Amino acid sequence: MTLATKLRGPGWYRAAISQPIAFLFAFGLVALVRSLYGWDPVVDWEAITTVALITMPLGFIVGIGCFDYWFRWAAGAPTVPEDHSGHGATKWQDYFKVNTDHKVIGIQYIVTTFIFFVIGGLTAMLIRAELAQPGTQFVDPNTYNGLFSVHASLMIFLFIIPVFAGIANFVIPLMIGAPDMAFPRLNALSFWMLPTAGVMMVASFFVEGGAFATGWTAYAPLSTEMPVGQQFFTLGVQFAGASSIATGLNFLVTIITMRAPGMTFWRMPLLVWANFTTSLLVVIATPFIAGSQFFVLLDRSLGTHFFDAGGGGDVLLYQHVFWFYSHPAVYIMMLPGFGIISEVISTHARKPVFGYRMMAFSLVAIVILGFTVWAHHMFVSGMSDWLRVPMMITTLLIAVPTGIKVFSWLATLWRGAIHLTTPMLFALGFITMFTLGGISGIMLGIIPVVIHVSDTYFIVAHIHYVLFGGSVFTIFAGIYHWFPKMTGRMYDESLGKVHFWLSFIFFNLTFGPMHFVGVDGMPRRVADYADEFATMNAFISVSSFFFGLSFLVFLYNMITSWRNGPKAAANPWRAHSIEWQVSSPPPIFNFDEIPTVVGGPYEYGVPGAVHAVFKEEGAPAKATPAPAGGGGAPPPGE
Amino acid sequence: MESASVALGRTHDEDQHDDHHGPPEANQSSRIDASLLGMFLFIISEIMLFGAFFTAYFFIRVVGDTEWPAPGEHLPVVVAGINTAILISSSFTMHWALEGARNENRAALRVGMLTTFLLGLTFLCIQINEYVFIGFAPADNAQGSIFYGLTGLHGAHVFVGLTLLAMATTRAFRGHFTAKEHRGVEVPGIYWHFVDVMWIVVYTVIYVI
Amino acid sequence: MRRLLRKRPALGMALLSGTATAVGIAISLAIDWFPDAASTASKDIDNLWDVLLIASVPVFVLVMSVALYSVFAWKVKPGDTSDGAPIHGHTKLEVVWVTIPFVMVTALALYGWVVLDDIEAKEKDPLIVNVTAQQFAWSFEYPALDKVKSNQLVLPKDRRVELRVKTKDVIHSFWVPEFRLKTDTVPGLTTKVRVTPNRLGRYDVVCAELCGIGHATMRQAVRVVPPGEFQGWVSERKQRAGDGGVAAAGGDTAVAGKTLFADTGCTACHTLADAGSEASAGPPLDDLTKDAAKFGKREGQSAEEYVKTAIEQPEAFVVPGFTKGTMPDNYKKNLSSAEISTLVKYLSDVSGKETK
Ligand code: HEA
Ligand code: HEA
Ligand code: HEC
Ligand code: CUA
Ligand SMILES: [Cu+2]
Repeated sequence: MTLATKLRGPGWYRAAISQPIAFLFAFGLVALVRSLYGWDPVVDWEAITTVALITMPLGFIVGIGCFDYWFRWAAGAPTVPEDHSGHGATKWQDYFKVNTDHKVIGIQYIVTTFIFFVIGGLTAMLIRAELAQPGTQFVDPNTYNGLFSVHASLMIFLFIIPVFAGIANFVIPLMIGAPDMAFPRLNALSFWMLPTAGVMMVASFFVEGGAFATGWTAYAPLSTEMPVGQQFFTLGVQFAGASSIATGLNFLVTIITMRAPGMTFWRMPLLVWANFTTSLLVVIATPFIAGSQFFVLLDRSLGTHFFDAGGGGDVLLYQHVFWFYSHPAVYIMMLPGFGIISEVISTHARKPVFGYRMMAFSLVAIVILGFTVWAHHMFVSGMSDWLRVPMMITTLLIAVPTGIKVFSWLATLWRGAIHLTTPMLFALGFITMFTLGGISGIMLGIIPVVIHVSDTYFIVAHIHYVLFGGSVFTIFAGIYHWFPKMTGRMYDESLGKVHFWLSFIFFNLTFGPMHFVGVDGMPRRVADYADEFATMNAFISVSSFFFGLSFLVFLYNMITSWRNGPKAAANPWRAHSIEWQVSSPPPIFNFDEIPTVVGGPYEYGVPGAVHAVFKEEGAPAKATPAPAGGGGAPPPGE
Repeated sequence: MESASVALGRTHDEDQHDDHHGPPEANQSSRIDASLLGMFLFIISEIMLFGAFFTAYFFIRVVGDTEWPAPGEHLPVVVAGINTAILISSSFTMHWALEGARNENRAALRVGMLTTFLLGLTFLCIQINEYVFIGFAPADNAQGSIFYGLTGLHGAHVFVGLTLLAMATTRAFRGHFTAKEHRGVEVPGIYWHFVDVMWIVVYTVIYVI
Repeated sequence: MRRLLRKRPALGMALLSGTATAVGIAISLAIDWFPDAASTASKDIDNLWDVLLIASVPVFVLVMSVALYSVFAWKVKPGDTSDGAPIHGHTKLEVVWVTIPFVMVTALALYGWVVLDDIEAKEKDPLIVNVTAQQFAWSFEYPALDKVKSNQLVLPKDRRVELRVKTKDVIHSFWVPEFRLKTDTVPGLTTKVRVTPNRLGRYDVVCAELCGIGHATMRQAVRVVPPGEFQGWVSERKQRAGDGGVAAAGGDTAVAGKTLFADTGCTACHTLADAGSEASAGPPLDDLTKDAAKFGKREGQSAEEYVKTAIEQPEAFVVPGFTKGTMPDNYKKNLSSAEISTLVKYLSDVSGKETK
């Protein structure tokens, strides 16, 4: 290929060349408009940065090739007949291209998001290093504020939310017996918006005035006054949000229209239910954060007065709009995990999920209730007093559907045949730690208590118990559980267990003590604190470094097992759901023939029960439904 | 079969037979067409985006109890009303075009698409004209901010709608779309109807009440 | 043992969780969670907290013990391919675990509501204090007491106080941990805190909402004093404003300066041996004479002028290594010019004295 064709065709060359062009375009546009209006100075770097933050990511996405097909369609040109050249991966380079295969996209998602997890985690290490002693040691207060803002934004928008989308991308179409997602190209586009958003957030460290430093909540009017780094959040979130909406929509359409014959809603695995409900939340709630950031953008760039009390604006408007998204967002960060845990527990305890229907209904209940509680983040914000008690009641009521889930998992364990594999360990860790975090959530829901502990380390403890002990543990459980399916290899079980125990112990040693310092009066988001908290903080910091290191065990296990782990059987866990009935990794088009679902997904212990067959009864199966536990390496030791 | 995923190091050796070149026909588990459903869901999320802006409107006008429009300012209710009529009529021509596609009436399809597009464009031009002569700017006061915010957001949607219509129109003139296969008209059409209905709400809220 | 547990799971469970609950509650109540309780609200909230602990521990213990118990009783050996019991559900059980949490949270919500009404109750004739937040300092004004202004919040013990909180710029949050009360300061609004301090002592007003670089150090003193002393303080404030506190200190500027330095909250950020303060948010002032000579020359000011400007307009010159905007710039407004001179004189006199 000559360079010219390389530059014209989709890919990294074209993406690279698009960047200077997009920048010059932004520069030119701003200079042109400003000189037309006679504004001074013509070269306004904040304005140029803002425009460039829109044109450059778009340039990248176009350059890499997400839009080629649509451009041709839009121009009315005959579209290239689908030769499936952009589908599936045969070599590692294929993962760096726009690919329409949901399995490839799933892995792209997971690897990318874990990279951002590491960056977010390293910022947390810097936070802890600074907090190890009172006073200022490593970073000045401005950098510190930037650190935790970027930390939280990466963890939430570039790790938890998209990694769940990644796992679901890989698993859901297989689980419901579909050959791919409903909109494979949109799926690819959703993925490629992510790295751009993440790079934007990290890049904010390098601009004048430092990274955005207003927390992940970016409350106005602070965020409308901060230096230009804030724009990287304001616009980065838009890309992450658009990505999230597109995926949510894609999941909904896939689940509604592409289920295999016989796969009624009441035969869907709970992971599918979980992603269905999560996607509803995403599609309905995410536009609100887009709105909140649009207002900030307008206030910053056009001088509007949405949050300017002096000009007739309303400061609390920001918080209402923001939390109307961001509370549902915490369930966006939890419900897929609930789904994973249901799969893992029933498979590794070899029992049907207890109260399957209630499990599905409780998801729906959480979605509905989740929209009615946003103001519990605003109990001390000065909002209308009358709104507080209703919000307290709805907040506390969320304990009921969540309780249904927790108790049903426990009942699923009860009298099971429990295999203490790594995914199972993480699932158990999840149930217990999430309960603790949920209970602290209930305490936070009670107004007189939260008046004292709001904005303290008690909140930081709650956040990490629900997000790390909750979401991240489910992610680990899910990654270990589907690792054989995704890579075709088995991970190292003993290393997995070491990883679990190290992270479980150091997790508690890191975040447990935060409850105490919080109630005792240490505010959050501070680079410096009163000397009385010195001992506790030193302890927390040291634990957190070990906690960080425990992640290396995971990383090592994943990389070496992916390269040379023993070949995995099609169905190492002897699970019933459909993704385990095809080879590991699955064939490029998932199935040769769409399976037919004949029963529930969790009929463990029911003699002769099958979830899906690949051919009408009697006829010989054409595809490769692997015999349970058959072939390849033996199931891993416990 | 080819492996969909590869190990980081070695490639798999079990990829032997390659007896088909495409995915199996997916099962249709719902009567609704995927792209229509997708568009409906997208519209839900668009409605929520407008919802965020209406929330801002609510806080500024109702909670903040400000005068509307700001003292000394005036909203061109009549001109905007005529503009509303223009936009609404474009919904009817859109429907006519779709019927044309359904009945293989190429002329109706083409003329319908073209008029819809031109009506939409007219709306947008009148809107821009209104901005020029309205006499206040987004930065003047919060009422101005939300006025431009809501109408601008809607204007952006008209622009997106027009882009979609332009594509569909181009394809209509290039001879695409048949009685069976006309989703390329139907889906942008639905979006266009949404843009129209949303304008009625915006118009009522901003200009009328 | 394991066989027995497998046979009588309910018994084992009850034993396990019963003991653990008792131990858990005992431990959690024994922990000293809170800072000192210095207002009537503190007691209500601390009691509520204890009730919450008593309600939460059993829930957590139950979850924990069922999980541990199941693993202990039903873990299978590697290679065992048997399945668990095919139990799909149990309606009665499910009703129970919907009802009990429902009742629990409803009760807690009601209790919470009662406490909320209690701590926010209005009383007749409260002492009103206007609190103003700005990046990064608090100022206090007593409208009914000749508009006395102060950088320190002084409150009489056992009197209902209504704090009316405002901000000049972004959102801050007024929090006194010992009072257990907090409210954000919102541009465009006046928020309120009602409090009855009931313990003498010196506490901190802590800013609890991220407000920019100085957020961590945005702290000032609250003193709860006997009512008599409060009256004295008010008149003294008025007088001090006139002469910079010199008379109150018996004519000794050094004592007056030291008091003022501590009361105004300079000690929160500066190390000064004479005033006994050790803090690192701002430059140490023990060597101030040297700095003042050096930087003052650079700025074309005398040493005294330099110190004065450093207090009145901290932004004018920023000591290398520190961040602009950390030191509050409201002293010029909240202190009288006599007080500022006292401070300048005091700082110029004491610095250099204790070094070496
Ligand atoms: C995964 C994310 C996640 C999840 C699932 C939750 C779950 C909950 N959260 Fe949390 N929350 C956050 C993430 C999450 N939260 C974050 C990130 C913040 C901080 C944002 C910021 O300011 O930066 C926050 C802040 C936050 C606040 C605001 C505090 C403040 O800033 O002042 C409140 C207040 O009500 C709250 C409450 C709750 C409640 C009631 C639940 C409930 O859903 C919990 C329900 C679960 C259980 C209760 C456990 C299981 C149930 C049983 C075993 C049944 C029996 C139980 C009882 C009878 C009690 N959360
Ligand atoms: C999913 C979300 C998530 C996750 C996973 C984490 C993970 C961690 N968080 Fe984070 N955190 C938040 C979400 C999350 N956090 C949120 C929402 C806030 C609120 C922000 C705000 O106020 O706006 C917050 C705030 C927050 C604070 C409070 C800051 C403040 O208020 O001033 C602290 C302080 O200790 C902290 C610490 C940590 C630590 C130690 C980890 C650890 O678990 C990280 C462990 C991971 C790694 C360390 C990376 C991988 C490891 C390696 C590559 C090995 C190499 C390791 C070493 C060299 C040691 N977090
Ligand atoms: C919130 C923290 C904070 C408080 C409270 C504070 N300062 Fe400062 N101060 C600083 C910082 C930071 C600097 C250095 C940056 C600068 O010069 O603006 C500084 C600088 C100074 C300097 C110049 C020091 C030098 O070495 O040149 C003087 C003098 C000073 N402060 C006096 C005071 C006095 C008097 C008070 C109380 C009335 C006070 N400060 C309260 C943070 C504080
Ligand atoms: Cu003021 Cu934080
Ligand atoms: Cu919430």
